Amino acid sequence: MQSLHSPEPSRRVLLTTGSSDAHTWNLVHLQLFLEEHGHSVLNLGPCVPERLLVDTARMTSPDLVVLSSVNGHGHQDGLRAARALRDDEETRRIPMVIGGLLGISPDGAEERTAELLAAGYDAVYPDGTEPTALLRHLGELGEHEPRGACTGRAAA
Amino acid sequence: MYRAGRGVTRSGQPPHPHSDLGAFVQEAAAAGELVVQPRMGMVSPDEMAAGVAAVAALPERTVATLTIDSYTRVGDHAAATAALRTGRPLNGFPIVSHGPRTAARTAAAAGRRTPVQVRHGSADPMAIFRTMAAAGLSASEGGPVSYCLPYGRTPLAESVAAWRDSVQFLTEESRAAGRRAHLESFGGCLLGQLCPPSMLVAVSVLECLFFARNGATSVSLSYAQQTHAAQDAGALAALRMLADELLPPTVDRHIVLYTYMGVYPRTVPGARLLLRRSAELAVRGGAQRLIVKTETEAHRIPTVAENLTALSVAADAARAARARPRAAGAHSGNDTEEILAEARALVGAVLELSDDLGVALLKAFDRGLLDVPFCLHPDNRGEARSAVAPDGRLQWTDLGALPLLTTSRRTSPMTSRQLAGMLGRVSREHDLAAETAPPPEPAPPATPRCLADPVAEPLRIAIVGMGPRGLSVLERLAARCAERPPARRIEVFAIDPHEAGAGRIWRTDQSPWFLMNTPAQEVTMFSGPADEGPHRPGAGPSLGEWWVEHDPAGAEPQGYAPRAVYGRYLTYVMRRIEETLPPCLTVHAVPAKVICADRGAPGSDEAYRLRLDRGDVLTADRLVLATGHPVNELDREQREWRHFAREHTTPARPLRYIAGGSANEMPLADIPAGASVGVIGMGLTFYDVLAELTLGRGGTFTEGGDGLLYLPSGKEPRILTGSRAGVPLLTRGVNQKRPEHRYRPVLFTPERMTRLRAEHAPLDFERSVLPWLLAEVNLVLLATRIRLAHGPDAAREFTERAEEALVPAHEPVPVAADADASAAEALRAGDVLRGLAAGYRIDPQPLTGLDALARPFHGRRFGSPAEFHKVLTEWLRADLCDARLGNADGPMKAAADVLRDVRQTIRDIVDFGGLTPASHRWFLAEFGPVAAMVSTGPPQLRSEQFLALLAAGVLEPVGPGARFGTDPVAGRFTVESAQVENSWAALDVLVDARLPTTDLAADRDPLIRGLLSDGVVRPFVNKAGGPGATDPKAGASGGRAGYADRAGEFRTGGVDCTDAPFHPVGADGTPDRAIHVIGIPSEHTRWFTQVGSGRPGRWGSFTRDADAIAGALAGAAG
Repeated sequence: MQSLHSPEPSRRVLLTTGSSDAHTWNLVHLQLFLEEHGHSVLNLGPCVPERLLVDTARMTSPDLVVLSSVNGHGHQDGLRAARALRDDEETRRIPMVIGGLLGISPDGAEERTAELLAAGYDAVYPDGTEPTALLRHLGELGEHEPRGACTGRAAA
Repeated sequence: MYRAGRGVTRSGQPPHPHSDLGAFVQEAAAAGELVVQPRMGMVSPDEMAAGVAAVAALPERTVATLTIDSYTRVGDHAAATAALRTGRPLNGFPIVSHGPRTAARTAAAAGRRTPVQVRHGSADPMAIFRTMAAAGLSASEGGPVSYCLPYGRTPLAESVAAWRDSVQFLTEESRAAGRRAHLESFGGCLLGQLCPPSMLVAVSVLECLFFARNGATSVSLSYAQQTHAAQDAGALAALRMLADELLPPTVDRHIVLYTYMGVYPRTVPGARLLLRRSAELAVRGGAQRLIVKTETEAHRIPTVAENLTALSVAADAARAARARPRAAGAHSGNDTEEILAEARALVGAVLELSDDLGVALLKAFDRGLLDVPFCLHPDNRGEARSAVAPDGRLQWTDLGALPLLTTSRRTSPMTSRQLAGMLGRVSREHDLAAETAPPPEPAPPATPRCLADPVAEPLRIAIVGMGPRGLSVLERLAARCAERPPARRIEVFAIDPHEAGAGRIWRTDQSPWFLMNTPAQEVTMFSGPADEGPHRPGAGPSLGEWWVEHDPAGAEPQGYAPRAVYGRYLTYVMRRIEETLPPCLTVHAVPAKVICADRGAPGSDEAYRLRLDRGDVLTADRLVLATGHPVNELDREQREWRHFAREHTTPARPLRYIAGGSANEMPLADIPAGASVGVIGMGLTFYDVLAELTLGRGGTFTEGGDGLLYLPSGKEPRILTGSRAGVPLLTRGVNQKRPEHRYRPVLFTPERMTRLRAEHAPLDFERSVLPWLLAEVNLVLLATRIRLAHGPDAAREFTERAEEALVPAHEPVPVAADADASAAEALRAGDVLRGLAAGYRIDPQPLTGLDALARPFHGRRFGSPAEFHKVLTEWLRADLCDARLGNADGPMKAAADVLRDVRQTIRDIVDFGGLTPASHRWFLAEFGPVAAMVSTGPPQLRSEQFLALLAAGVLEPVGPGARFGTDPVAGRFTVESAQVENSWAALDVLVDARLPTTDLAADRDPLIRGLLSDGVVRPFVNKAGGPGATDPKAGASGGRAGYADRAGEFRTGGVDCTDAPFHPVGADGTPDRAIHVIGIPSEHTRWFTQVGSGRPGRWGSFTRDADAIAGALAGAAG
């Protein structure tokens, strides 16, 4: 519980997953974890269509988009999500990271990482990365204007 | 009735008729087996088909799966199709993008037997169901709640509407195409973790009700393994009870368990342990099907091989769990009650809301009457919370608006660390537990995969008669298919009205007093010894080993097992064959009798149509006739006896004639105490009758000072017995040879005899063959005497000198210019042996013939029955002394054993017309019985009992040359020996204890009669100049074994057949290559077929005959 008194500034995180990923527990756990460390989280839940992601990002302007995926489609879904966010004028500068089980096999992990970074992700976390990596990333984000908490239900 | 109907779908293509999933699971459950199933989805149809085929080819009972990719699941078919086009990987089989044709072709790889289920997770499955229906697929998984809430954001109302329409569509389409749709609720999983069991049970039951109300008639209710075994077992019980309570009785249903769906152990042993525990849970909780997880679940999407391993491990664990008694402490009664009460409350509250279950579900979630903890779906209320209790059970921590009376266990909010701890608890526990106690390797070895075309018609083989011979063919066929899978699938119909394996003669319910005639350790039905692996065709225990294992207290592996015990062993072998079937081979035990076999219509692809007594017809490409001991029409004398008994029986003094056959089938219990019973024949059936009438009536034997004493029960009849020789079979020597012992002949060698036949056939057995056999017997007799007196070196020296004298070194296989010269040479052998033995200070006198042993009282007269009994007693006591010396150390029994040891060489001379007609007749009438007297006798115990019964006055042997007859004046049967004064006796009962011999013309079996009259089989006629008859209608009337014959021919009565693989020769002289005949039906054509077991060690003819047929059958399947 010491994390609630973390010296790091509180960030607003938009937590999402691939449009075809039905897994929930990774999202539930990350939400709890980030909230315990003083960040506010909007959890879009499983199977997030790109449109919903972009609309919500436009409405809430989060400090970071976190895409967590474990169904093996994370690579393809992640590329589509990145393209959607990057194509939109209002969301293209929002920092974003991706992590989890991103392909159906370990083969080609390096190529996948390179492709995702090229598509605009600031970091790609392989399966098994401790969630504290996210805290570090949040800590390293540039200074920002304090804004209201990013909470509540998704836009659609 | 075994051929599935062929359906044609509306799209025009004839899809492969898949097995009905519900029926398949029920059948497995009835057989006591758990059905195992993977989750498996590959993007490429070829890879998917290979995976499906591999799952179907496993020896386990499997359901194959098409797991659909995530894009198809969410209805993004464009993305799936794009991925297909660009070759991007998908996490499943995009069934809609592939289309019905490809889907049908892919699913066809499962073959006819294995059901295929589509698992997808779609909240709107209509597109998937349309493709399924067009592809001939009818089994799916899902549900309006379980495929919606955990899977994203489709509004629940949309999902309910879509599922209602889709279920109606699939059930109607399937019904129209002659199939039955099966729907499995995924409600037992939801988020996979942390949902208390009562909610899982409630949703599963509600969804299956929803399926049923929308037309489904076959459903399965699911439950995912959670965190506590007893709670899980309770949940499975509650699920079953609630389903039985609420589902219409007409709806087919079963329980399917999912191996743990949460965070999976990271180590292979940990993962395997969890999988094994799920299989154990399935068995103990009464689930009939299990969806497995693989050992790489935590790391990546598994390969086909990993799935196959998981299926084998799960099936192995299920079998092991079934074999073990229920573990103490696994009692789950309280869990059951609690979960049932909660689930019933949840379901009841939902059903109250609306008559339309879809509407009721929507209202229930809206009001929080159903609320899935931690579910983020917008339509889920999200107020209920749960946790893993310290004891490992799942429990509610916040009920929200749930209609449960349970006292609310409200606790402080869970931290991410606590959540991670709970989510990872099962994973950690199993990784840790497996580290200290690694789970076992699965028992079944990796079997080669079936590469046969799953759509092509299998080779259909009917084995008619499933006693030891039929079983031996099946055992070798299965062993061969396991070694080398055939190119075409094989379907075997094992037909016998009696228990498959045991058949009629070895029925397991027969009297415990009937004993086998071969020591248990010398009997096996497996064609190879047991090894590390499971008992299976080619590797299994002998009867002796099995007996010790199954009845450690009662087994005597060196002794003679009751026939019922052998029957149980045979059914065990049958069961092991069925349980370890190699890929490509299926076996149906058909409890019926074949009435007739008709050739298939010309041009049709089936060889034979078998009509069964139960009314149906079976088609077969190959037929194996293994019908065993015949039931013959009575001959004239027997008919007269039966008639006489009927004429003269009165209620006050009943008169009975009990015809021959198996003692087991004789109404011996009807014989009143004190009646005079005549028993014709003193062979092995006589001993069965004797045991049943004495031991079977409560009499006992005790150790007396001088052998056994019989203590009568008072319920015995008076037993008078007689035969040609008037003496019982000679006692078998105490066995001193290892089971795999084989005698190597010196004089009567296979080489010498083969050459004799090759150069001089047809032979006169008595003149050309018997002298050599007798010389071999005498060599062993004298060598054993020398060994007893002077030790093994002297015996070896004697044998070597005899060999030198009788087998000149320059001619290793000396065969004289003609057969008579050869015989003279052999006769000289007796003199040579006597001369050589004379130097050893032993009795050098060899036997002058086997008759001296078997007919000791030939021509001798006795003044009274008492005198005969005294002499007979002395004779049998002397024989028992010989027997006690053993079959290696006792000269007489060692010599007698030669006859058993060279039996195959005798067959090689005699079989398939090796003797002249006259000699063949002599051989069967004279040599056969004498050889049986000398070498097939009973164990010592039986001879000791014979003496005790004789001494007690219960048994009265009548004398040599006993003649049974009738006394019309007194209205009694009679018996008298011409060689024993005052031996005449009147009889109330006449029991025919002679074994009916093979005689096609007298056989009462309608199948054999039909085959004979159709000319498919013919009796073997030995004619001078070679086998075969020109006029199949000639001769063969009356007489035992058809001994009536025309001059120059010997009409034997056995089925004429070729050498291996033993095709019967038809009336037109051509063999029918679609039929094989083995064992007793071919007796006379071949000699001594009444052998009911193989021997451990090197194969004897019993196993070789079976293997020859199995080889031909496997060859027919490529």
